[in-house]
Amino acid sequence: MDYLVAVLLPQLLHGLVFGAALGLLALGLTVIFGLLGVMNFAHGELYMLGAYAGIAAIGVTQSFWVALIVAPLAVGVVGAVTEVLTLRPLYRREPLYGLILTFGLALVFREAVRQIWGGDMRRILPPFTGSTPLLGMTYPNYRLFLLAAASVLLLVIWLFFTRTRAGIIVRAAVQDAEMLDGLGVNVRRVFTLTFAGSAALAALAGLLMAPEFTVYPQMGVEFILLAFIVVILGGMGSLGGSVVAAFVIGIAQSLFSLWMNPQRVAIAIFGIMIVVLVVRPRGFFGREGVLE
Amino acid sequence: MKVLGWRAWLAFAALLAVPLLPFMSKFYLLLAFDALLFGAVAMSLDLLMGYTGLVSFGHAAFFGLGAYASAVLLERGVTSLWACLGFALVVVGLYALVVAYFSTARRGIYFALLTLIFAEVVFTFFRYTQTFGGSDGIQGVAAPTLAPGFAIDTPLRNYYLVVAFLLGAYVVCRVLVTSHFGRVLVAIRENEDRARFLGYNVQRYKMTVCLISALLTGLGGALYPGRSAFATPDLMLWTVSGELIIMIMIGGLGTLTGPILGGVFFVVLQEKVSSYVSWYFIVIGLVLIFIVLFMPKGLLGFRRMLGFRQWRATA
Repeated sequence: MDYLVAVLLPQLLHGLVFGAALGLLALGLTVIFGLLGVMNFAHGELYMLGAYAGIAAIGVTQSFWVALIVAPLAVGVVGAVTEVLTLRPLYRREPLYGLILTFGLALVFREAVRQIWGGDMRRILPPFTGSTPLLGMTYPNYRLFLLAAASVLLLVIWLFFTRTRAGIIVRAAVQDAEMLDGLGVNVRRVFTLTFAGSAALAALAGLLMAPEFTVYPQMGVEFILLAFIVVILGGMGSLGGSVVAAFVIGIAQSLFSLWMNPQRVAIAIFGIMIVVLVVRPRGFFGREGVLE
Repeated sequence: MKVLGWRAWLAFAALLAVPLLPFMSKFYLLLAFDALLFGAVAMSLDLLMGYTGLVSFGHAAFFGLGAYASAVLLERGVTSLWACLGFALVVVGLYALVVAYFSTARRGIYFALLTLIFAEVVFTFFRYTQTFGGSDGIQGVAAPTLAPGFAIDTPLRNYYLVVAFLLGAYVVCRVLVTSHFGRVLVAIRENEDRARFLGYNVQRYKMTVCLISALLTGLGGALYPGRSAFATPDLMLWTVSGELIIMIMIGGLGTLTGPILGGVFFVVLQEKVSSYVSWYFIVIGLVLIFIVLFMPKGLLGFRRMLGFRQWRATA
């Protein structure tokens, strides 16, 4: 019982927090994949840009909360401009080109950030400190806030996709963009806005997670692989699948790290991934035959 | 069978004459070594990417594994180049067998991601295993010897070694793609299902070409510690695999000579730009974006179309 409360429970909660953040990232990836057919290698860099835009905004306004609004908006604009300038001409080509193009974008973003802010590690202080007694243990307040914020965000996104006209249009575009075009919807604008939205979501995740992790130009490179794994595990293009898979990976990662050292954890996660790709490449909820 | 045309022989003669140029200092010889080595590795990847249509995002692991195999031997006093190459073949071959078996069962993006994840496993293993130096890798190994008493310890000897390797690898690749085997690979790229209906065991073909490409890449990696005296896990980072893909895209998919040029161009560009500005990755990223947007067939794109016409004429 003591083991349960003192060791297992905090780790489980931590896994939930991590999984929720991962879910925000993976949702953007999977929507972009479903919509544009592009596996966005620059998504991790948008996540990183969010943290740095947050640092800039905090530097000006001294407020974490203002930054939480400004940074995603700024990165969303970057995303929209990027989509119009580089991705739009590629939609009719093979997915391979999108993959390679976004790899180039990632290089540019990473190096631009290194030039502006330097390559060393930075920290964002959490907006509040302290911890709360919870179920017989104490848990940091910021992590509780993180869990709440990410859950609310996931709920809002779910409501957006199920209850609003805009969300339904995006889902329709994932299903059949040509048909939607025929119905008189400006599909190009849908693509651009969706890309901007996914960029803003990644940025938000980046800034929210920044007080928990350190901020440095390479931070996206390490996170994006996990997000890829989540997207595939959940099934390419499946929104619900991504969220479920994000929690599975988040919890698996933090539970594994109770018993294994970090590299074994990484290898175990990769191992899960390889098994899934080989045995059931469409993941938990993916449609059969998508890009197989 | 005439494998190499006169242009290829001319090119290799020119490569042999390169060290005679008056400005070829040791520094430039080493730069030329890197350029040709990565050119050769990019060419090996082109077998997979350009001819079979399989995008591997894990070739850095084959390269790094080859480098580690040879560095481990050199570190322990086995300095024979042939032993290093042989050991690299065995190690890379075993690993590639596993990767090829599982990855080729899937197509498209799934193949790319499987190779990427296998490579990450290898990277993570070497990055954290202290036997192999952890994140520092294996440093300060001795130069390999071609024959007893003949060490490849000068930039000039290293350069000629890599030219020989490039020639060998090029002949292997060229013979492969002009053979029946190579035609089947192209058929798989163009329409996998149709190739299967024609009775070809598609997965066996894909596995074989995967293996050959990996072995050539591993051999290239095995030459690397002889030049740099180290093997580090950074050689296996997935961004290195991405750079190999960039080289192929610059030069032109499915041309063999294109990726060599692309590799040379990339290495020289990186060196030249980085000596002027510190933000060379931005330049490289922009070059890549430009190529994808405006010249998706790369520098040699036009020749490839000509090549196709020749095929049809002879078929």
